[in-house]
Amino acid sequence: MSKSLEDKFLDDFESNQNIVHKICRIYTTNQSDHNDLFQEITIQVWKNYAKFRGDAKFSTWLYRVSLNTAISLFRKSSRKVKTQNISDIAFKIKAIEYDDTQEVQLKALYGAIQHLNDIDKALVFLYLEDKSYREISDTLGISEVNARVKMNRAKDKLKKILNP
Amino acid sequence: MDVLEKYKEAWDNQPENSNKVSKSEIYKMMKSKSSSIVKWIFIIGLIEFILIGSSFFLFDIEKSIEAYESIGLNKYFMHFNTKAGLCIFLYFLYKFYANFRSISTTENTKSLMDQILNTRKTVRNYVVINLSYLTIFYLIALVLMIKKQFADLSTVQTIGVAVASLVALAVMLAVIWLIYQLLYGILLNKLNKNYKDLAKLEE
Repeated sequence: MSKSLEDKFLDDFESNQNIVHKICRIYTTNQSDHNDLFQEITIQVWKNYAKFRGDAKFSTWLYRVSLNTAISLFRKSSRKVKTQNISDIAFKIKAIEYDDTQEVQLKALYGAIQHLNDIDKALVFLYLEDKSYREISDTLGISEVNARVKMNRAKDKLKKILNP
Repeated sequence: MDVLEKYKEAWDNQPENSNKVSKSEIYKMMKSKSSSIVKWIFIIGLIEFILIGSSFFLFDIEKSIEAYESIGLNKYFMHFNTKAGLCIFLYFLYKFYANFRSISTTENTKSLMDQILNTRKTVRNYVVINLSYLTIFYLIALVLMIKKQFADLSTVQTIGVAVASLVALAVMLAVIWLIYQLLYGILLNKLNKNYKDLAKLEE
């Protein structure tokens, strides 16, 4: 007997939830907002799951719906992102740069990404996830040429925060 | 080595999130209610339609037409106005619902933002049309009233009545405008900013 739509969704979503967690970590600054965004993405993905026909990979589709929810639909409950002076962050990052355990680098990377605007976050995230420019342009609705140019700018901004 | 390369390596090797969510938790979440801004735009938009639209049903139109007639407004003109108002209301309500239905998170980010902002614009246009209409109507009624009912007032008194009425109108419009800015400003602040940032990418 074939699985119900709900069961299929639960299988797909559970096995790909790490993508959603990464997006939540980029777009929120505390655990409560993280959980709220995770829940909203779950609702949006399920709401549209019947439309997903399997002509693309579920994960590809999940990137799009999750990023859309984070960028356009989600409102943080605690609005203010702790705004620190960029040079303070740079100092902190520099101080830990010598400790090159990947865990620390990862923390620094997430910290730096959080200081980009929402669109640059999406660009950098898709780069880190090894998405092609074609996929990036399809996801965001911009031209491939522009995706390339703006990606370089977003990466430059990130580098400056990581290594001023 | 590019400075980002080593961070990218750390990204690629990152462990799974420690807050792994179980299937039963996902099940609970997928059945819960959305609190997205699209839902709020729909609810607030609907309230606006109900508030403005209810005037067609709440007020005794025949009675108000009589009142307007007494200050010199044509009865047929008033009947036409009421019917036209109802048609505009139904048209915008349909458009609002159609726009809302077309919002889909499976579209690309740019199209999704366009769809959300279009839904919001429909309501805004409806409110602007109604307020403009109200203003014009108010001004016509004011002129007629001054001519007919305050004919025996002195010029200074007439100017006083006119200025007081205009100030009242301006205050009412300003209050509505402020509430509007506050409501949608809070709701769409982030979306507008992201929309601008995305539009900048296409420049």
